[in-house]
Amino acid sequence: MDNLMSEGLNLMVFGMGFVFVFLTLLVFATGIMSKLIAKVAPEAAPAPAKSTPAAAVAAPASGGDELVAVMTAAVHQFRKH
Amino acid sequence: MDKLLDLWHASGVYNVSPGQVFMILVGLLLLFLAIRKNFEPLLLVPIGFGGIMANIPEAGLAMSAVENAIHLGGPEMLQNLAAVLHISSTEPEAIKHAYHMADAATHTAAVYSANDHGYNNGMLYNFYTVAIASGAAPLLIFMGVGAMTDFGPLLANPKTLFLGAAAQFGIFATVLGAVGLTTLGVMDFTIQDAAAIGIIGGADGPTAIYVASLLAPDLLGAIAVAAYSYMALVPMIQPPIMRALTTEAERKISMVQLRHVPKTEKIMFPIVLLILVALLLPDAAPLLGMFCFGNLMRECGVVDRLSDTAQNALINIVTIFLGLSVGSKLSADKFLDVQTLGILLLGVVAFGIGTACGVLMAKVMNKMAGGNSINPLIGSAGVSAVPMAARVSNKLGLEANSQNFLLMHAMGPNVAGVIGSAVAAGVMIKFVG
Repeated sequence: MDNLMSEGLNLMVFGMGFVFVFLTLLVFATGIMSKLIAKVAPEAAPAPAKSTPAAAVAAPASGGDELVAVMTAAVHQFRKH
Repeated sequence: MDKLLDLWHASGVYNVSPGQVFMILVGLLLLFLAIRKNFEPLLLVPIGFGGIMANIPEAGLAMSAVENAIHLGGPEMLQNLAAVLHISSTEPEAIKHAYHMADAATHTAAVYSANDHGYNNGMLYNFYTVAIASGAAPLLIFMGVGAMTDFGPLLANPKTLFLGAAAQFGIFATVLGAVGLTTLGVMDFTIQDAAAIGIIGGADGPTAIYVASLLAPDLLGAIAVAAYSYMALVPMIQPPIMRALTTEAERKISMVQLRHVPKTEKIMFPIVLLILVALLLPDAAPLLGMFCFGNLMRECGVVDRLSDTAQNALINIVTIFLGLSVGSKLSADKFLDVQTLGILLLGVVAFGIGTACGVLMAKVMNKMAGGNSINPLIGSAGVSAVPMAARVSNKLGLEANSQNFLLMHAMGPNVAGVIGSAVAAGVMIKFVG
């Protein structure tokens, strides 16, 4: 009977300990993986998403008149046809 | 007149035992709960129906060929089996005992003898052998669950894995409770039984069935019914515990939005997890291996057809067979026992302790992180029960602060709980299997 109880206690201590050790290692492994991926293969998707609006914002600031001229020409061209 | 008497003797009414009547009523109760109360209907409908079919008198749907032969065969068949098993008694009980004790060759001979006389395994017995005794059905379900799981919230905040670990304390506390009851002489559980009962606290149906089929096949019916019933009761069991352990101010904490997780990370995670399992705990490899496989199919994006099958068609097919097989274990002689009451009682205790430990762990993490960044309500989601437990966290969060959406934050500990209970299952199988 006492034997069974001690077996139960053992199972609890080792079991719970192991679950924590395993998941702690998983936390570290996941962290390392995330950092590695961010360094080695930074995702392409967010980068262009950021650069496109930046370009659009930058364009009117530097050559706004030119852009308007091009667009007006394009609209005229379109209406002629 | 003789013919009429024969017909009467072959009828269910003549042969039914009180235990079978009771178990049919239990099956009807499960159907009622599933259909009217919407308790995990996908599983309780097949389980309840299987339970009713298993208890139809004389049909022997849940019995093996030899058991059917003993029950239906008459004196000639009994003599035959006694000769095959090398015993002199032709009492059905003695033959049954000799059959279970027999070595492999004699066992097979008895099966062939029964088959020769036209007795075969019952349909539900065959389902059980193929689906559960082989371990296939719970593992296929786990693959489907993997294919449905999004690890994004977990990867965005890996620390929530600790919450999934803390909630597994319910499992081990219940093991201790079960052996404690045995030591006090109230119940009679072996350490294997205790481990299988504890896993109910993992709130994960397939894991509970997988562990029970390996450690305590006799208790499988009760354990599976307890696990799925309590999973359906999560919205009732958890909130009082969560309210009792948190303050109003803590419940109001709103959490910062999770970072965006790149696709590559999601693809790599199941592989990292699998490598870690392979290195540390090969006993959890069947469960977590299938889980990772399912998840990789989902995230890799090149096998959408397979992923789609795993999370829809296949999991539905497997669920039907799994439910009927579990139902086949609801036979009167196995289920009508004080042990079943003990299992139901210990199961709900396991749930409660798991929930409490998850919440307490979240409180500790919140204190360590400065006191205003982790809402302790997400801790309770650490007892898997995906996605029900996460929804409960979300609901309580909204009650305290109507702008507080915790669902995505709670999904992290929720899927961590699935990993945690599979790891706990591996440890159990390793230590007492």
